[in-house]
Amino acid sequence: MAKKRKGRISKQALVLSVLGLVLIVLVVIFFTGGGGEKVKRFVEANVPKAPGAPEAQAATRVVTLFFLSDDDLLHKETREIAAGPTMADEAERALAELIRGSEEGLSSPLPPATKVRQVFIAKDGLATVDLSREVVEGFSYGSTAELAAVYAVVDTLVSNFKPVKKVIILVEGAERETLGGHVDLTRPFLPDYSLVAR
Amino acid sequence: MIILRIKRAVLIAAVVAAAAAVVHPVPAAAAPARTQDLRTIVIDPGHGGLETGAKGRFGNLEKDITLAVSLKLKALIEKDMDFEVVLTRDRDVDVSNENRSAIANNHKAGLFISIHANGAVQRKAAGSETFFLSLNATDEDTRRLAYLENNSTDLQTRIDPSSDNDLMMILWDMAQNAYIKQSSRLAELVQGELDAMLGTRNRGIKQAPFKVLTGVACPAILVETAFISNPDEEQKLASDEFQTKVAEAIYRGLSLFLRGRG
Repeated sequence: MAKKRKGRISKQALVLSVLGLVLIVLVVIFFTGGGGEKVKRFVEANVPKAPGAPEAQAATRVVTLFFLSDDDLLHKETREIAAGPTMADEAERALAELIRGSEEGLSSPLPPATKVRQVFIAKDGLATVDLSREVVEGFSYGSTAELAAVYAVVDTLVSNFKPVKKVIILVEGAERETLGGHVDLTRPFLPDYSLVAR
Repeated sequence: MIILRIKRAVLIAAVVAAAAAVVHPVPAAAAPARTQDLRTIVIDPGHGGLETGAKGRFGNLEKDITLAVSLKLKALIEKDMDFEVVLTRDRDVDVSNENRSAIANNHKAGLFISIHANGAVQRKAAGSETFFLSLNATDEDTRRLAYLENNSTDLQTRIDPSSDNDLMMILWDMAQNAYIKQSSRLAELVQGELDAMLGTRNRGIKQAPFKVLTGVACPAILVETAFISNPDEEQKLASDEFQTKVAEAIYRGLSLFLRGRG
């Protein structure tokens, strides 16, 4: 009887340990999988692509971002982001990269702690960008900083995503009058490339 | 919100069609009353209260500098000109952008001058600039209301600010559109004097969709005196001498504008 019980216990222990092992493997995959992809992408981005390599073209796309330089104009910088599945996904990634900052030593026009909560692109070409509250709390905006922040977002979306014609900016899911007391956020913006260096 | 916008567009289309039918027979030559109407100038010291505006490295706040310059400008105008000067705030209090334009419109302001100190991410950014409003031209209602440009003197009498009817809100929203040309001229003259008197970098006149200007039913500008985010300019801005120069430069630009009108 005791023997039998012991056998049962060891069988249970075996099942449990197998389940545990599977769980650990899943957890490891979960936490490393994304990072691994990122590393791969980064490596790919630094290796000159053979012309017409179909695999790389399908997985990524290049977007133009806008960063501030000492002349306090917005300067273009290209960046590779993961492609698809939807345009809104790509738009969210492009804005996240804009906030993450320049790889060429320029300044981001948005507070670094800002998160892109969501981008929604309507059929009429209006893109709605929902930013986290850090976009308001992170800077003490003067007019110039506020214009740069707003138009870096607007110009990034309109210049990289053809169907987007105008942009409205929300903060924490709600309409807000301004970021820092100057620029009117209650109306959709058209792009303004006058702040962009030529 | 999108539905609201469509509703607005439909509403405005209907009303403009109706207004065109009614207004059109009135000859646009009723305009020359303009100069005599200018009795009040509204000066708007940017920010205030909890809303400090941009901050300098040495702790100076935009709201304090804008108030100091505005008080000096008020004194200059009252000393030498026959205008009533109204400030949107005369101490350190919060005033919403909506209330700032409402103060101007309720006093039947002839000119609106908003005073600010600039701030940029880059510490090196420097100079003075003067803005007037840019409206996002995609808005259907903006284009449809372009007819107001020829009838701008009627605007104040035609819009009753106490009405909270949807259409009235839109008309107020669009009010500044009718004064873009005069606003541009005022900006140019003020900026010219800032350039001549301050010794700061001349950043020129620019257009931007600034909230405080949208609802103002008279020529309106926003002066960015200098950069509080630039340590050198912050120290200038904090000095009584520089503040006086800024006020004098704006006063001179204003005088030139008024001479040109008369």
